[in-house]
Amino acid sequence: MKVPFLVIGGGLSGLAAAIRFARFNPEVLILEKHTRIGGLNSYFYRNNRIFETGLHAITNYAEAGDRKAPLNRLLRQLKFSRDHLDIHQQICSEIVFRGAERLLFSNDFQLITEQIATKFPHSSDGFGRLVTLLDSFDPFRIAPFRSARQFLADILPDRLLVDMLLCPLMFYGSSIEDDMDLSQFAIMFRSIFQEGMFRPGETIKILLDRLLDHYRNLGGSIRTGAEVREILHDGRKVHGVVLTSGETIDCGVVLSTIGLDETLALLHRPPLSGDTIRLGFVETIYQLQASRCPALPADRTIIFFNNADSFHYRRPDQPVDFSSGVICLPMNFAGLGATSKEVRSTHLASYDQWQARAADRRAYASLKVQTAERSRMVLEDIVGDFGQAIVFQDTFTPLTIERYTAKKEGAIYGNPQKIKDGDLGYDNLFLAGTDQGFLGIVGSMLSGVSMVNQHILNKF
Amino acid sequence: MTREDIKALILEIIHDIDDEADFDNLQPDQPLRDQLDLDSMDFLDIVMELRKRHQLQIPESDYPRLATLNSCADYLEPLLQDA
Repeated sequence: MKVPFLVIGGGLSGLAAAIRFARFNPEVLILEKHTRIGGLNSYFYRNNRIFETGLHAITNYAEAGDRKAPLNRLLRQLKFSRDHLDIHQQICSEIVFRGAERLLFSNDFQLITEQIATKFPHSSDGFGRLVTLLDSFDPFRIAPFRSARQFLADILPDRLLVDMLLCPLMFYGSSIEDDMDLSQFAIMFRSIFQEGMFRPGETIKILLDRLLDHYRNLGGSIRTGAEVREILHDGRKVHGVVLTSGETIDCGVVLSTIGLDETLALLHRPPLSGDTIRLGFVETIYQLQASRCPALPADRTIIFFNNADSFHYRRPDQPVDFSSGVICLPMNFAGLGATSKEVRSTHLASYDQWQARAADRRAYASLKVQTAERSRMVLEDIVGDFGQAIVFQDTFTPLTIERYTAKKEGAIYGNPQKIKDGDLGYDNLFLAGTDQGFLGIVGSMLSGVSMVNQHILNKF
Repeated sequence: MTREDIKALILEIIHDIDDEADFDNLQPDQPLRDQLDLDSMDFLDIVMELRKRHQLQIPESDYPRLATLNSCADYLEPLLQDA
């Protein structure tokens, strides 16, 4: 059997790529290593209910009529109904730098513009100039790395504002320490501040199921529990893959969404990015009992915070850096009739530090508990007490994330080095997903779509 | 297929991409992309639908020849004469 188009990885970029191809030719096969699809945005069952693994919010909110918006382009390219998203917009989010300043933002860009005009009057004109510059900037043009931090510092006289603008964008998508590529910054500034955030009414599972149904209705195939061990090639030409089960599948074109180094390993090639630092994270979910629920803010959806004197986005020397992070209150999206309450926290973490404790299961387990406790205390300083209402909590370490998503070192934003054109130097093997450089649910799906458009459709 | 059939086919494909596309004031000698607000990703859908429905493989170098409704008819008429 020969499969004309093979997609490695059943995350959102792989699903989108496969759907895009299947619209014109149903002979597509997705191979997913795990038993469940979704990659970074999946789900699991504990304590008799479903939990989402990664979702805080989906960025790139757009009104239905805005044809050029990334969200609507994506839906058009997949022929996937907007109704399937069941959009609930964020209420309001905030950037909080303790003892320094706070900035509100929402899906109305006017809000943050006014906040900056009031709180950073010296940078107000600069912020206007920044928006104008970004409007005419093409972030998809392939260009060498350019420091977003330097770019901002040249325009905005307030160093604090530079850090406050970078903080949410870094936490939601930077794979490099203390900076971002300007193109990445431009994409994320638009997707988070100018477009905004939303989430589906139910869980990510419903969205994944609907995408999978759509894919299957187009005639596409998927195999879960199918891990690729090797990509077979003859020089620049790939002709098949071998699964860990020993089975060989012949194929025409391959799109890998599993990461750059992870893909090179299947080709028996060394990683491109030798000893570069990958950024790991810990995430804790606190499930709260609604009846005992304390007065958590009802008008904050996501809070990005920094409690340190200066903001650092880098791998900590300790297992976890509690001085900054993200708080998500998933019930605070408009129109959600949420019956259960949840608080989620994210902090930067060190894969090596967690790895060093992994051999001693009790020490590792106890560090997870301590992490959840410590993170809760940091959060309670910001949103108020909720400890007494917790009925269940679970913490994902960089090791957990690596195990379930196969992202090397649990680095959710992948390799610091991106292959923006998806070209790995083969005639019929291309890269999409996190290491191609588009991030977030909409971004990663557009990555899959655009790599299929650029390299595969009508090319073979 | 006649020229008129081909034009109807192209409009049907575009309607499939965007069911709100407005064909009332469409000028057959003006670029489709500007008039209907199609981007390059949408345009690829036209090429791929022609391939799917009529097994036509249109090389990328010929894409400019699909710019207007009239040029589509010029280009596709000999290719679809037996369709």
